[in-house]
Amino acid sequence: MIEATLQYADTALLVLFGVFALAGAVAMLVLRHPMRVAMALIGTMISLGGIYGLLGVHFIAAFQVLIYVSAVMVFIVYVIMLLDVRDLSFTHRFTRLVVPAAAAGLLFFVVLGHAVWRDTGGVQPATALFGIGQFAVDFLSRYWLQFEVTSVLLVAAVVAAIVVVRLDDKDHG
Amino acid sequence: MIQDLVIAIVYIGYALTVLLLFGTVLTWVERKQAAVMSDRIGANRAYVRIPFTQVKLVWWGLFHGMADGLKMLLKEDWKPAAYDRLAYMIAPWVVFTPVLLVFGVIPFGGTLDPGKLLSALPAVADWFGERSYPMQIARLDAGLLIVFAFGGLSVIGAMLAGWSSSNKFSMLGALRAGAQMISYELVMGLTVLGLILIYGTLDLNAMVQQQSGLVLGFLPAWGIVYQPFAATLFLTAAIAENKRIPFDLPEAESELIAGFYTEYSAMKMGLFMFAEFIEIAIIGALFTTLFLGGYNLPFLNDSGFALPGGHVVPLAHGTVVVLQLSTFLVKVLAMSSFQILIRWTLPRFRFDQVLMFAWKFMLPLCLANLVVTAVVVFLLQR
Repeated sequence: MIEATLQYADTALLVLFGVFALAGAVAMLVLRHPMRVAMALIGTMISLGGIYGLLGVHFIAAFQVLIYVSAVMVFIVYVIMLLDVRDLSFTHRFTRLVVPAAAAGLLFFVVLGHAVWRDTGGVQPATALFGIGQFAVDFLSRYWLQFEVTSVLLVAAVVAAIVVVRLDDKDHG
Repeated sequence: MIQDLVIAIVYIGYALTVLLLFGTVLTWVERKQAAVMSDRIGANRAYVRIPFTQVKLVWWGLFHGMADGLKMLLKEDWKPAAYDRLAYMIAPWVVFTPVLLVFGVIPFGGTLDPGKLLSALPAVADWFGERSYPMQIARLDAGLLIVFAFGGLSVIGAMLAGWSSSNKFSMLGALRAGAQMISYELVMGLTVLGLILIYGTLDLNAMVQQQSGLVLGFLPAWGIVYQPFAATLFLTAAIAENKRIPFDLPEAESELIAGFYTEYSAMKMGLFMFAEFIEIAIIGALFTTLFLGGYNLPFLNDSGFALPGGHVVPLAHGTVVVLQLSTFLVKVLAMSSFQILIRWTLPRFRFDQVLMFAWKFMLPLCLANLVVTAVVVFLLQR
């Protein structure tokens, strides 16, 4: 009796985390205040971490929380904390760019839907548990180039962000 | 299956009891130790009277912690007009919960063999059979990563608290907390990288097991022997992360009243304080696990003492378990007391000095330590 319940508990937790993740994602899109949006995103990230943990890849769960919540979201919360008093754009329901944004979103969903439709049935759940040692070896022997290219892209993004901020400064004198 | 569940519940109960007890007792230790250090008597007023008698139990002021807790629970739960009510309400929990969760991956004892331990009760012993469990709530191969993952969560809590309070002191405290905790978290992560290189694992239990032998025939093979430099840096960064004097700028009372939790009262404020005191114990537990050999006592293994010269003192399984549990607790208590010693010894930094200390002093030292460790490990492995 109890053993059967325990086996269902795993599935129940998985569903619960999935619902939390989805609810956080929806809240992130619907809410207006930047800090609320950040909190919803944190909820989603932690729920995703929970899902990874339940699937047995604990180190992916740890990375999910460590990188996305403890690093990225901490910086985002820090910035929102400093800026939300000055930037009141969130008080309007939609931006002026709502039509192009919707079009881009639609395009994204078409691409995503196509990819998912093409790959259905191809994804199999992992049979063997994937430990951090194996991950480290794979990461540094097979995927190091992709990783380094990503870091170059990120540097480019940072430079672009600085340029955009400078442009704004010029406009306002 | 059910046996696993029972053991898990027992472990979680033990961990919660130990942490909450440490949180309460350390408030008393902090006061009493400060008093001893400054040649005062310290807390000695609160007492419990045995009913219907005039016998008052003072017990060196131990009941002051209880009195403080009661006061915080019974005080009016004042709700100020916060800038963001939701963030204001959840912030204490965002600070408090991760601190408790970190203990989930810390091994607090060796291997538990319930069948052997409860051999006096044959029915229970048979039910457990040959199962044995490491004394750790969750033995994960990425244990150390989880510690840092949860460590970062409490930064968000501190920032939410200060931002949502709609008070300039709180806001300044939150800014300081954010900048300081981000900086020192980085330093803390770098200090343990050397240990990871030496032990070749992130699993805290495996790390502790590797610290059970001897080095050079007489020194215990603890992390502090291999990495004394990293141990010092780790402890410094951990105290800074916990925002205690000399790094208590986010809540500096002479500048910011109480920093990011100025607007909190009663038990909401109590949660921040409690989190801080439990974090002292957590830092002690982490330091013990990483650098002081965890539950290991020199010469003690799972079957008894193996003294040099071939003397063997066999011990019952129950005795070994109790010895390992108490070794861990004593080490944690000693480290907590050492942190309180530092807190009552050093004056507070200035805020720019805190950040300067992290980025221009500790970070280069950590990197140097890491480089030297990596070169030595590489040369030894060749």
